[in-house]
Amino acid sequence: MVKVKLIYSHGVVEKPVLATIVLKTGVPINILEAKVNAQKGELIVSIPVAGDKLEEILNLFREAGVQVQEFAETLRIDWNKCTACGACISPCPTRALKFKEDWTLEFDEEKCVACGICVTACPVKAITMP
Amino acid sequence: MPKEIEKLRSIDEINEKIKRGDAVVLTAEEMIKLVESSGIEVAAKEVDVVTTGTFGAMCSSGVFLNFGHSDPPIKMTRCWLNDVPVYKGLAAVDGYLGATSLSETRGFEYGGGHVIEDLVSGKEVVLRAESYGTDCYPRRHIETVITIDDLNQAILVNPRNCYQRYDAATNSSDRVLYTYMGTLLPNYGNITFSGAGQLNPLCKDPNYETIGLGTRIFLGGGIGYIIGEGTQHSPKSGYGTLMVKGDLKKMNSRYLRGASFHRYGTTLYVGVGIPIPILNTRIAKTAALRDEDIFVNIRDYAAPTRPDLRPIIKKVSYAELRSGKVFLGDKEVPSSSLSSYKMAREIAETLKKWILEGTFFLTKPIEPLPRQREFKPLKIRGRELKVGDIMSRNVVTAKPNDDIRAVASKLIEKGIDHLPVVDDEEKLIGIVTSWDIAKALARDKRKLEEIMTRRVITAFENESIDVVARRMARHNISGVPVVDKLNHVIGILTTDDISRKVVGGGRIIW
Repeated sequence: MVKVKLIYSHGVVEKPVLATIVLKTGVPINILEAKVNAQKGELIVSIPVAGDKLEEILNLFREAGVQVQEFAETLRIDWNKCTACGACISPCPTRALKFKEDWTLEFDEEKCVACGICVTACPVKAITMP
Repeated sequence: MPKEIEKLRSIDEINEKIKRGDAVVLTAEEMIKLVESSGIEVAAKEVDVVTTGTFGAMCSSGVFLNFGHSDPPIKMTRCWLNDVPVYKGLAAVDGYLGATSLSETRGFEYGGGHVIEDLVSGKEVVLRAESYGTDCYPRRHIETVITIDDLNQAILVNPRNCYQRYDAATNSSDRVLYTYMGTLLPNYGNITFSGAGQLNPLCKDPNYETIGLGTRIFLGGGIGYIIGEGTQHSPKSGYGTLMVKGDLKKMNSRYLRGASFHRYGTTLYVGVGIPIPILNTRIAKTAALRDEDIFVNIRDYAAPTRPDLRPIIKKVSYAELRSGKVFLGDKEVPSSSLSSYKMAREIAETLKKWILEGTFFLTKPIEPLPRQREFKPLKIRGRELKVGDIMSRNVVTAKPNDDIRAVASKLIEKGIDHLPVVDDEEKLIGIVTSWDIAKALARDKRKLEEIMTRRVITAFENESIDVVARRMARHNISGVPVVDKLNHVIGILTTDDISRKVVGGGRIIW
């Protein structure tokens, strides 16, 4: 499973690129977040395959004129600053942030879609997006 | 005497035991466990002190500072620390820096709370001050760098800390709200709450049997004292507060953290811990109250009303809130805290350690805190302007199948920019502006219904002008139709009406 950001420029945005690739490869690509208008679009998707199959899919996007950005890192949490208050937890749309047993904060990178709502929700600015 | 309040031990006896090193001290969490396993009688008999803790945003916090005199000296009339205004209505070099005071250069990002944290951390802070100059204080300007060590006094004096409980927040509207209760997602998307519940000091002695004027406490990692009831103290309804003070120079920035709430402002996270001496069984019982036993209301922050008038959505326990999800109707809504339970725990543990080590002794309050107080709202005398007072009642409306050219000449003839569109029963169904008309003519459209905006932002006659002005600014519009309960258009309010007829505070100036 890998998470990537797909950037559609003007001209590409009107074409059913993702649907075509899903039909062609049979891989159920999951849209985690979408910001699309008439001029451009940005999708964050998770692709549940690896290796050659993944490369094939990413190449299909590139060939269709979509810019592909892999997520190296979604959020950066400064654990020295974090007070484990919890202000970031309930606003998170994908439940990527939660408390551990000992009430310290836990971050599940897999679930994060880098929407950034936690960045503004954090009262002590412990969360940044690289 | 009821058995419950029969004296088990005195504060002097407890202090003797602390001195001897054989006092039994438990944190509130440990006390709960002991009561669950051995019963209240045993716990009351065995335990001398229960320690509590809380670590949350406490806006009514600040520090009295004395800068010392420069040569030549200055009677500072205006003063800033790192560009954050310091209150200077005091003697020449005394000031009060409040946690919510905002930086004049960095806005919401940095404020009084952050300066306090920086001072406690030993960081250098830029001091700037101005004056008009007097015979005894000739200097008119000063700019220098200070640290907390340069200050003669830095005394944390917080008019309201340590709320006993605090109502939780949610949002029924269709947009994200940024509040002092954090980020509230639309359509009841989440719930935020504050307070340490079963670790919260005032929840553990709600009858004020041990907590009072002069009680020695853990404050910001140092020693502090309760100096009275806090502002908005409302003990009768279970929302008591404390006023506290302590020497900032002996505090620790781990327990005093500057914070910013997005699009709201700055504040200070304060760590407070209070020892509860178990003087009788009733105190043992309250000290063992669990999250399950402590209830608050969830209020809807979408309503732009006074806090106590925000609609109550549900009554819940801290246990429910802390579980991470609360059912609102049949919808499971994620809930999370704004105050740190982990830090509250750490504070209760630290205070316990201090007592066990014999470095912290309990005090007998000089006076109890008031148990009967109500928190009154501010009544506004006289009548403030409402939408109905300044709106135009002479509204020109149109019908959906009106011809655009006819509508255009109507707008010009009447000199207006907003045209509500109504159905045959005069009910609002859309709006067009002169800009929409210009666009429509350029694109050769014919009927109004092709171009009108159907989702109309409206106002009611009895709404406050400030509330409606904020609504217009948010939607970037310059006018709203005013409707009655049945959605009939009864007037129109434009930014023009507001700027021409109202000056701050809603006084008529024509």
